[in-house]
Amino acid sequence: MEVLILVLSFLILIGIGVPVAWSIGLSSVFTMLVSISAIPAFTTVAQRMATGLDSFALLAIPFFVLAGQIMNHGGIARRLIAFAKALVGALPGGLAHVNIVAAMLFGAIAGSSVAAASALGSTVGKKMEEEGYSKEFAAAVNVTSSTTGLVIPPSNILIVYSLASGGVSIAALFLAGYIPGILTGLFLMIVAAIWSIYNKFPAGDRSSLKLIVRTFVDALPSLFLLIVVIGGIVGGIFTATEASAIAVLYCLILMYFYKEVSWKELPNIFLSSVGTTAIVMLLIGTSMSMSWIMAYENIPQNITELLLSVSNNKYVILLIINLILLFVGVFMDMTPAVLIFTPIFLPIVTELGMDPIHFGIVMILNLCIGLCTPPVGSVLFIGVGIARTSIQKIIRPLLPLFIAMIVALIIITYTPGLSLWLPSLFGF
Amino acid sequence: MKQQVDRILGYILVTLMAAMTLDVLWGVLTRYIMGSQASWSEELARFLLIWIGILGAAYASGQKMHLAIDLLSTSVSPKNQKLLNRVIGALVILFALLVLVIGGSRLIYITLRLGQLSPALRLPMSLVYAVVPISGLLVIFYKIWEWRSAPEPQTQD
Repeated sequence: MEVLILVLSFLILIGIGVPVAWSIGLSSVFTMLVSISAIPAFTTVAQRMATGLDSFALLAIPFFVLAGQIMNHGGIARRLIAFAKALVGALPGGLAHVNIVAAMLFGAIAGSSVAAASALGSTVGKKMEEEGYSKEFAAAVNVTSSTTGLVIPPSNILIVYSLASGGVSIAALFLAGYIPGILTGLFLMIVAAIWSIYNKFPAGDRSSLKLIVRTFVDALPSLFLLIVVIGGIVGGIFTATEASAIAVLYCLILMYFYKEVSWKELPNIFLSSVGTTAIVMLLIGTSMSMSWIMAYENIPQNITELLLSVSNNKYVILLIINLILLFVGVFMDMTPAVLIFTPIFLPIVTELGMDPIHFGIVMILNLCIGLCTPPVGSVLFIGVGIARTSIQKIIRPLLPLFIAMIVALIIITYTPGLSLWLPSLFGF
Repeated sequence: MKQQVDRILGYILVTLMAAMTLDVLWGVLTRYIMGSQASWSEELARFLLIWIGILGAAYASGQKMHLAIDLLSTSVSPKNQKLLNRVIGALVILFALLVLVIGGSRLIYITLRLGQLSPALRLPMSLVYAVVPISGLLVIFYKIWEWRSAPEPQTQD
């Protein structure tokens, strides 16, 4: 009964266009009203929202968002793109690969796919159009490749997963993300190459070694940030939150030297970061209340029993969970999906012997696919908006890229070593 | 009126964000130079995040930045679209009123009565939670403003 109210009211609310975060909050309130009286229910939701944000780990999110924004405006993104272009521009469908590699580099430095999609869409995407690529293909490549940055550390969503899972090590999750993230990027590159040969899109000129070295040296100060942030976290020198604040400071210093944006712009950069942060924080706050009411109604236990009654084969259960998450990802943004479904699925998979680090990577990779699908696909909307095309038109070039992502997901789900080998080297 | 609220809210949020950045950097610095970090700096950063998150949510609501599915609103007639936008606005107001304003005020009342103080800063927790009803009132303000001023068909959310 309660489950029905929760799911139905949520679907109706998002269906008519109530913003997702408010829909999560409202459907939680409606469900609570079945078994809790009104005023305590309202107070509980308000309290969950406030205390849900009361976490030092979550502080990394606004800082990584801010660092990404400064990168976009301060000339750092441009240097990364130039380096990517020198590296892979000569492959068939050259600029598509530039986009994918730059997205991976971007993801390796900032932690937000939305920032990557808007930075690359407005630069590489425009250039692709000029050189005769269809703008739909350009947008499709941009949208899918930007999500690889969510698995490649630093990653805000892995921090959210660490919180939802009750404290899986952020350093371990970050290390685990590298190989799956790069693998997904490579699969996207293969599909982009085939698509480009088939459609006779141009390849760029081969870059001289000198150019590669020059762009690399140019990008080096930006790439060095990667060593500071990840090295610092993995080496236990500082926490993810401290690393993210240092990333902000470092980006500000680079911005000062590159002089591509005036200091007067800084308040605007801060304000747009606050906006992005607040959107995520409201989603976290209301998701915390939904998670609370689900636990109160014993919904996770019921789902566990149901799933384990279908099968207790690890591979079958993982397949079912992946299918459910793919479906969830279509209707729900990534942050609430991670906060709401981690407490449900994690106990099941750990009982079946899966490592929580591995499950985190699988879950994020899976939900990345949902970010590129309508109706709730934040990265898709940004990519389509910047390319000034429409969702209907972008679907055809998007499909083969989806298949590449799904193949990568299957391989990563059933090969735990791809996620767990790197953390194991560092003793996790 | 809306512009003024936007501007003041923008100033406050940017200040809070800058304060949070400086505070965490200060924490890292003191931990390295003096070997130990003042316990207040971590607590302050967490409280600032609550303020930025919840107050910022109201700001984002005013700018229509929150993610929504616009499939229905873009496929109905302009007249129904207006109606739909009002229904959506009313539902957001409902949540803001019941949970943020009423629930938030009660939360403040409870923590005030218990006299709950934060461990490091000895700050009354009611002060931290005060952002919840404030944000609720701002959301209601923005939605009523939209109701009154946006009768023409909109395509964006």
